[in-house]
Amino acid sequence: MKNRSSRKTPALSLTALAVAAALPAFAQDNLPDMGSSSEPWQVDTYYENHTAFRGRDDTGKVVGLSKFRNTLQVEADKKLSGGWVFHSVLRGSWDGVYRMNKGQYGEDAGGAIGAQSTLGGNLTDVPWGGTSPAGPLGYTAVAGLGYPGATNNKFMDAYPNNPNDGLRVLGDRWHKVNGGVAFATPVRPCNVDKRGCTDFGGYGDKSTSDLEFPEFNSRLDFLREAYVKNSFDIGGGQALFLKLGKQQVVWGRTDLFRVLDVINPVDYSRNNIYDELQDIRIPMWIAQAEWRMGASETMQDRNLQLIWNFDQFRANNLGQCGTANVALDAGCFFRGMRTLWDYGGTVSNFANVGPDTYLATNFGPGQIGLANVNLPKWSLANTQIGAKFEGVTMGGLNFSLNALHYRSQLPSLHGGKRATNSFTGQYQNAWPYLISFDMEFPRVNLLGGSMDFQSETLGAAFRFEGAMTWGEEFANTNREQLYSKNRVWRSVIGVDRPTFVPWINPHRTTLFSAQLFWQHIFDHERENGGVGERGIPDFKDNVIGTLLMKGFLAGDRISPQLIIARDFRSRTHAIAPALEWSTTDKLKFTFGANFKGGSNGGNSFDDCRSCNPFAPYTAGTYPGDPMVAYSRGLSGMEPLGRFRAGPIGSAIREDEIFLTMRYKF
Amino acid sequence: MKKTIIATTLALFAAGAAQAATEADVENTFNPYKGGFPKAAGLNAGTVINKGNVDQFKDAVPAGVYKLLKDGLLEIKVGPTTQFELSKAYIEATRKNLGKTKLGAKNGDIEGYVAGRPFPEEPDVKDPRAGEKLAWNYKYGVNWGDNAAIYPFYWKYRNMQTGQVEKTLKLNMHFLNFKHRVKDAPVPEVTPNPSELFRAIYVKVLEPQDLKNTQLLIQRYEDDQKLDDAYLYLGFQRRVRRLATGQTTDAFLGSDLMIEDFEGYNGRISDMKWTYKGTKNVILPMWNHNELKLAGDMPAESDGYKYVNFGGQGGCFHEGTWQLRKVYVLEAAPVNANHPISKRVFYMDAQLGNLNGANEIYDRKGELWKVFMVGKSHPDAHLPLNKGSGIGIDDAFSMVDVQSKHCTTGQFKGQVDGKLNPPSMFQVQYMRGGD
Repeated sequence: MKNRSSRKTPALSLTALAVAAALPAFAQDNLPDMGSSSEPWQVDTYYENHTAFRGRDDTGKVVGLSKFRNTLQVEADKKLSGGWVFHSVLRGSWDGVYRMNKGQYGEDAGGAIGAQSTLGGNLTDVPWGGTSPAGPLGYTAVAGLGYPGATNNKFMDAYPNNPNDGLRVLGDRWHKVNGGVAFATPVRPCNVDKRGCTDFGGYGDKSTSDLEFPEFNSRLDFLREAYVKNSFDIGGGQALFLKLGKQQVVWGRTDLFRVLDVINPVDYSRNNIYDELQDIRIPMWIAQAEWRMGASETMQDRNLQLIWNFDQFRANNLGQCGTANVALDAGCFFRGMRTLWDYGGTVSNFANVGPDTYLATNFGPGQIGLANVNLPKWSLANTQIGAKFEGVTMGGLNFSLNALHYRSQLPSLHGGKRATNSFTGQYQNAWPYLISFDMEFPRVNLLGGSMDFQSETLGAAFRFEGAMTWGEEFANTNREQLYSKNRVWRSVIGVDRPTFVPWINPHRTTLFSAQLFWQHIFDHERENGGVGERGIPDFKDNVIGTLLMKGFLAGDRISPQLIIARDFRSRTHAIAPALEWSTTDKLKFTFGANFKGGSNGGNSFDDCRSCNPFAPYTAGTYPGDPMVAYSRGLSGMEPLGRFRAGPIGSAIREDEIFLTMRYKF
Repeated sequence: MKKTIIATTLALFAAGAAQAATEADVENTFNPYKGGFPKAAGLNAGTVINKGNVDQFKDAVPAGVYKLLKDGLLEIKVGPTTQFELSKAYIEATRKNLGKTKLGAKNGDIEGYVAGRPFPEEPDVKDPRAGEKLAWNYKYGVNWGDNAAIYPFYWKYRNMQTGQVEKTLKLNMHFLNFKHRVKDAPVPEVTPNPSELFRAIYVKVLEPQDLKNTQLLIQRYEDDQKLDDAYLYLGFQRRVRRLATGQTTDAFLGSDLMIEDFEGYNGRISDMKWTYKGTKNVILPMWNHNELKLAGDMPAESDGYKYVNFGGQGGCFHEGTWQLRKVYVLEAAPVNANHPISKRVFYMDAQLGNLNGANEIYDRKGELWKVFMVGKSHPDAHLPLNKGSGIGIDDAFSMVDVQSKHCTTGQFKGQVDGKLNPPSMFQVQYMRGGD
């Protein structure tokens, strides 16, 4: 671990924030001329404070302050010569939660943890990082088994380089171990504790100051948008539109779900799935061209858009372990796995030494875990391209056809990789079914479309969006490398109906907006392995429904709203009430909450304890040939239950209330 | 059966009556003051009408405005009646297409219309469809011409009792006629126009912060029976959202205006039963912008333009002069029994053909709910680029909710400039090209 006092980076971040803070005073009169003219800069400056508190997580402890984010945003526009327009958005945030609640998210987060063994079906607490008769098993115990080469085993009796401090049990925020796999994940910022710290795609290796000032990094995220745009008349009522620079390109017609809206990756670390997408899309350097054909004899409007995302690849930011928003708890899984690879560690309920008996086991480094993160480097071949045709028919039907060649913004873990056999010390470049992983971001092709229309009879507008992808990868315990490529169909049907609800406001409609999302995984694999099911943890068909009710009062200055989301297959839901109050044109408060419910009881899945990668030593009492590696399907909540629980189920113990204040200078 | 025959006969008579329009009707409809300006006893330029003397002028004051005056909410300064000549191109189009237009079999149907004022003849109270014809005269009226923009347009939501300005919107509003164009190229139609759009309105909200970059596009079809198409671009969502346009009685962005209130009436003719109630001389807010005492509390415009000032109770009333005008009193009662209002009463300016001078909106119980007053400036006394446009320039509006004692006011910078309103602006794709 690094020394806690090692904090050299804040100075840069503080300077950057100070510069951002000075911008309001610097605005308009002092911005560079940029080759134009008489048109002045248009500058809007905003300050926002977002403060959130969380209740008890699954450990029974109150989390407390989960966000104290202060954001300064400057939006500056200028008309340039030749019809070009420059637009920029600068954003700098400072989140005080890492200092104000350091026991949860800062230098004092985590602590010493324990492990678990199952003895004849009984769950038993055992030490982490040490040994005892009930587990964990370590070098000495395995060496004592006396098989040939047993003394070469690579299990460990203790972890002098991996102390039991600053740790949490993976997933303890949202579920119990309950006889499943469990291991430690460090949770302190990486300047305090470097264990498991790796760049997983924009997160995972962040120091306290990096987390406090998330926009001030090597990718210049404080420059949220900076582009020029222009429209050139090409005759015949047609135009060529260009938009070049760091920007967001938004496809699709649905709220919350990203079926076609996948050009920019998303930063879920900011506020999970609860912020507007415009605030959490990660802008990319993109060249966009539109051939605006206008009307024809048969269509009211036609437009062909080409985009070239020439920026270096960026993944979705799923949130670093030890921070408030860790989507799917994935960041903790990755950090814990990386720690296992680098240092080894105790894994609960692992060694099946007898019927219904699974002892915690002390793995050494280089045996299981996450070894490499292969983020795509910049190259021409790694840039991403897309095309969209958008049209309006004579009858008013609005539609689009979309195609995109891109990189998956979610990671895929390729297992069965190189490792040292824990029992013999033998190194191999591949161990089928071994939970030794590398992280990859596969290429994906997408074809899709969308449309909308209104129904006078129903007084409603309908939206449809659908896309098929080729190349996405899913965890699959039925395969030697523990993943498979599958085609996926995603679609959303949405309906918006403004409705007069007299007791809310007799003169203003209340918006009811409902959506139904459906995902289908083609060639889905799921079969019985003897002990339980193995294959793809994600549901073959999953459906999520959302309902938004938004009312307007007092001249739209007060707006109550309620969002309900239900993940039907994971059997979990979120309820998010909120009240917006614009006290003046410049000052707005939003008070709200989100509560999750349901049960993750059905979301356990094959955890590959029964994969028998180091046959015959790992054959245990599982059925089948003890010399053959494959999964028998023994299950637990970790690590694959998160893919069934989804973003709602994996945050089921993150009930939160919040207050947001936004002021425009 | 007998009633049906009578109704059909009357309808045919009414439809046929259009053919009777003459050159004299054209002359009369566009210059109703040929024989001199109207007069009312004691009402002269410079007269100030207020709570104390309004009863003296009751016959010359629209009923809703009378109530406001009687309640002491405002004073009205009377100016001289002036000519608001419409564009020569529109008058010529009326003349050229005289007698070609007929009402169809049912409300909302029209046949043979090409351009200009479709029914220039004087309305007849005996004609059961006279109100409908006036409604068509409004729909196909000059209004904002072939294309124009209110650029910018300030809306203020006000508490009439305290005068507190609760919210200020700054927006740009653009208009384009796809069909029946008479003056600005392309004439007579923007082509290709496969959907047979008649007109479109594009709005972009600039302020306040929570509505910044919100855009609205409303496309109206030539077929009056067809519902408008509407699209909303929300700045914070950055995508175009299809709107269900059936709820035209929704308070627009929380203001005191329904979408149906825009320009006086913003809906389908077939949604209302129209009744012509007679011709009167009443005062309407019409003035020469450059001769008014203008607002000093509004943001400065680079060209020095200043907005109409507001005063009266709660700052709800524009402070331009009113003038005695020949009007057609027109009632519109919703066909839909669930409509939140029972009727609208319009005082349609006979010369301009506009509906929005001093409207009354009655609630379902038949009680006065709102009074909508849009003041117009003569184009030659407004921005230089409006000179000679032949359009009564909407210059300020007051929408007063007399029941909740609340109002929404509007201050216009109307610009009749085709360059501000290219046809591409009125396509959905234009909204996506923003920020």
